[in-house]
Amino acid sequence: MQKYRYTLRALLFISLILSSLAVSARGVYQTDQDFLTEAFNSSVPKSKVVWVKGELAKMIKTILGHNYAGLRIRYWRDPQRSVWILEEIGKEKPITFGIVIADNKIAAIKVLAFRESRGGEIRHPAFTLQFQQAQLDNMQLDRHIDGVSGATLSVRAMTVVARLALYLDNFTG
Amino acid sequence: MNKRMRSLHRSMGAIVAIFVLMLATTGILLNHTSDLDLDKQYLTSDWLLNHYGINNVDADTVYLLDRHTISQFGTQVFVDATPVTQSELAILGGIIIDDLMVLATEDALLLFTPEGEFIERMGESVGVPSMIQNIGLFHGDPVVQTRNGMWRSDFMLDQWEQLSLNGVGWSEPQAMPTSVKDELSTFFRGKGVTIERVILDIHNGRILGQYGAWFADLVGGLLVLISLTGLWLWGRRRL
Repeated sequence: MQKYRYTLRALLFISLILSSLAVSARGVYQTDQDFLTEAFNSSVPKSKVVWVKGELAKMIKTILGHNYAGLRIRYWRDPQRSVWILEEIGKEKPITFGIVIADNKIAAIKVLAFRESRGGEIRHPAFTLQFQQAQLDNMQLDRHIDGVSGATLSVRAMTVVARLALYLDNFTG
Repeated sequence: MNKRMRSLHRSMGAIVAIFVLMLATTGILLNHTSDLDLDKQYLTSDWLLNHYGINNVDADTVYLLDRHTISQFGTQVFVDATPVTQSELAILGGIIIDDLMVLATEDALLLFTPEGEFIERMGESVGVPSMIQNIGLFHGDPVVQTRNGMWRSDFMLDQWEQLSLNGVGWSEPQAMPTSVKDELSTFFRGKGVTIERVILDIHNGRILGQYGAWFADLVGGLLVLISLTGLWLWGRRRL
């Protein structure tokens, strides 16, 4: 009887740990403001907007596979770089990405807010480093991005958002 | 024996007659559902819809802006009966400035066209004050009340000055107009349950849920019994 009790306690403990890990994937990892401050070394330029209409709207639809959820996209640009804060749905909820583009290449990509219950592993530098220096080649990234088991939709979201930011940087540059 | 059997037959007849009438009526209606368009008409009774597990829709918050009704159900924001965007935080109010419909949450402003199309979300990163508590208008200018005081901007919404004003027209939650509530009900419920389905469920007893089938069995049993007692009485008379 005592043996079963220990086993039960151990199972309960493990399930608590696992559930806390699942919950911990959700949250705001960095505010938009902090990401911009970091990207521009504290001197954040005034934001600009690009309206999603005409040919641009069509191209964005081609990249995302659906219409962009908004009529305008805000961005920040100085002579060295442009910074984009974009949202894309992973499975059910939007993931907020911060992307820094310099010389038509990705200088940094981060998950700023993650709201899904699964797939939060894409926020780790071990995954995001794959995007470093990636650029567009015939509207696709010029390299293969290795997936993360159980996070396919989040990986897809980050990949399309990276392509979108590169395209928008070029469009507005 | 004969008298007792006749009495039993008569009592069962009275009980069963109600159900036979119901079965016959619903059966005839079911035979003609297409002719009577019962498969194209939908329930409107809240009580029956609740019975089918399709409950009332109640918004978390409602604001009336110009000719539009803004409502929020969980994270989903609606303009009239159209889902327009998601907001993790509650909508705290809304205003109309120039050609913009502006909703406020604690950490951002959500911008829409006058037709209700989502434009963008403006947060602290573009200069909007954080910890917003309400939004209002002062002589046509947008004003937000935050935990750190009152701020005013212009139609661009990207530069805010802190000040203290009297006479701001603050946004207030309102009741949802019935017409929009009906449209939202249709959105959530789909078209709902057809009259044909209700008649079928009355016919087979399933309107009473899991007990309905047993009840139908009981009525079936009574019909068998009444037939047997009827035959017995008929047989006795011939003898």
